[in-house]
Amino acid sequence: MSRKPPLVFIIDDDEMFADCLVAAIKKGNKSAKVQTFKNAIDAMNSLSDPLPDLIFLDILLPGPDGFTFLNEITSYTDTAKIPIILVTSLELPEADLSIYGIQGILNKESMKPSEVTEYVKRYTN
Amino acid sequence: MQSEVNGIFVAAHELKAPLSLMRQLALSLDPNNPTEIKEYQAKMVTVSERALRQVSDLTKIARLEDGLFAMEPVAVRGVCDEVTSELKYLFRSNKKQLRVKYSNHQKLVIANRDLLHSVVYNFCVNAIKYSDSSTTSALTVSDHQNGDASSVRILVRDFGPALPKDIYYKLVHNQLEAPTGISFRPDSSGLGLYIATKFSRFMHANVGAIRHRDGTSFYVELPVSNQGTLFA
Repeated sequence: MSRKPPLVFIIDDDEMFADCLVAAIKKGNKSAKVQTFKNAIDAMNSLSDPLPDLIFLDILLPGPDGFTFLNEITSYTDTAKIPIILVTSLELPEADLSIYGIQGILNKESMKPSEVTEYVKRYTN
Repeated sequence: MQSEVNGIFVAAHELKAPLSLMRQLALSLDPNNPTEIKEYQAKMVTVSERALRQVSDLTKIARLEDGLFAMEPVAVRGVCDEVTSELKYLFRSNKKQLRVKYSNHQKLVIANRDLLHSVVYNFCVNAIKYSDSSTTSALTVSDHQNGDASSVRILVRDFGPALPKDIYYKLVHNQLEAPTGISFRPDSSGLGLYIATKFSRFMHANVGAIRHRDGTSFYVELPVSNQGTLFA
């Protein structure tokens, strides 16, 4: 029986930046299926079977922000387990976000595509 | 002093986004893939041009009082054509569309060409940022009559999150004295709107916004130049 390809969500309203993330994700796992959302509501509505294996989440989004998304996702037992990587230009202290189950924070100003690739390898292979 | 510091903070924040994106595009480049190089190069040019325009607008704001920006009769459609042609790639690369409709009979307004260009540019960039992909933003130019005063209105309608009420009231009551902080609309400091307001006021133009349930229209109304009638 063939294994289902892993599913990765990107939630970022900057489409060009999201395209860069897609390229880096594909380098980490060629078979990964990537879904891109420009706002938290569309992403929340898509959180059904199959659930994503990994989420890259921006904080400043149109409408509800990334924190609202985090509150929503951690309130359900099944989605609370999904690893989330924040990709943001805000300076956020990692320790304060541990309650949301954040697996990592990538700063848009200093991150490298290889860091995205590493997270994909870690959580989808 | 505090508002100056805030202004610097907001400008710095706004410039971080294109610089971060440029860096990411450069790091993502695969030197063995010529098609990708071409595509990424085009993206980098577009992003850097947008950032350069922002820096240039900020420089202009600092020099508005120096008398460097003369008012003259300006052909509105010419300016709008320039802006839409300049932004064609940016609209396309963001998978957005812009419809342009000219219904004005008055052709010349009193303005500074550079500043008017920046105002229309900022309105359009705003529409790119906030419109949903399935919608088409609209740039409309029309004549307006307020008592004896004739003006030409340039309006850009976007379909996205509505302009927050507090910013709307600040704008219509001429109280937008500084960029509005990063929570105003996501991924934005309101710097573009601040620049457009500042330039419009300098040109004695009326700047405003219309809140819709599914988006916002920003407009600028410029007094008609009677110089055109000399050729009639």
